[in-house]
Amino acid sequence: MLIELLTKKYPGMRLWLAQRLSAVFMASYLLLLALILVFQQPANYQAWMAFMSPWWWRVLTLMFFISLLMHAWLGVRDVFKDYVFNLTLRAVLQVVVDVLLIAYLCWVTIILWSL
Amino acid sequence: MKFSIYRYNPDVDKKPYMQDYEVELQEGDQMLLDALIRIKQQDDTLSLRKSCREGVCGSDAMNINGKNGLACVTKLQDIEQPVVLRPMPGLPVIRDLVVDMTQFFEHYNSVKPYLVNDDPLPETERLQSPEDRAKLDGLYECIMCGACTTACPSFWWNPDKFVGPSGLMAAYRFIVDSRDQAEEERLENLEDPYRLYRCHNIMNCVDVCPKKLNPNAAIAKIKDLKIERAKESKAKKTYSIKAL
Repeated sequence: MLIELLTKKYPGMRLWLAQRLSAVFMASYLLLLALILVFQQPANYQAWMAFMSPWWWRVLTLMFFISLLMHAWLGVRDVFKDYVFNLTLRAVLQVVVDVLLIAYLCWVTIILWSL
Repeated sequence: MKFSIYRYNPDVDKKPYMQDYEVELQEGDQMLLDALIRIKQQDDTLSLRKSCREGVCGSDAMNINGKNGLACVTKLQDIEQPVVLRPMPGLPVIRDLVVDMTQFFEHYNSVKPYLVNDDPLPETERLQSPEDRAKLDGLYECIMCGACTTACPSFWWNPDKFVGPSGLMAAYRFIVDSRDQAEEERLENLEDPYRLYRCHNIMNCVDVCPKKLNPNAAIAKIKDLKIERAKESKAKKTYSIKAL
């Protein structure tokens, strides 16, 4: 239901809600991760591999990073809009950040699926 | 008592400057405004707004030692010397401590700060239950001095687009009023990415409000209401499609 609100009909709410929802997802993932690590601590490389490799855990982890990057994108975008008044400079900075974030996303995906 | 006051007369001065003053306080001088009136007796070129001198009219809002407040309700014994007085930040200076509040009031007007009710007027007043009336507490007391809005960085960066804490609190005051019928239009009026959503909850507004109000809470409630209403309209739509 909340996801449905992230449409063009609500241009202001969409961005605000996207940032909130990504934050909630990240918090839940980190809580889950902390709980799991309380009950089982992978002691060596093999244990870590076994812990990280189930496909659903990789998907969840990827979703965590997507949330993180989206959250960062929205936040940095707001900062640029507020503080960088030169439009050319703002566009350049925004492109640099976008490229970086996309690169991070590819990097994370490669790491997760090369396990 | 020592003061350092922002002076700027655009007809004469090329640039604003700070002028030092020293005044002898007299018995009965308790508030900053009393001292300012003494200074004005020394130097009548100093311009400032004042009226009710008891925190009701909101005329003498200014930046006092870096924090916005009303001179008439700021106790002299509570402030550090030299007292640095500047006009409220983020608005054009007309002269000395007097700022041009046109932008501020334009935002206030843009939220339609009056009851919208198309029902025929009743014989007496439109009644409200005590519970509904209580919802307006903490909102209607705003005196529109501008201290909160001019303390808000979101307003500094987007003064033409972001409504500001004071205007948004006025908007919420009419959104929750049980006698008002324009809730939906009011919420829609705040939908673009700037008017409402530039608020990032840094709460400068709450910190400076001389009436101890909480515009930030009002803004959060508007955001919640917007989500609720949007969900309802979605639900209604699916329902009507099913009914077909």
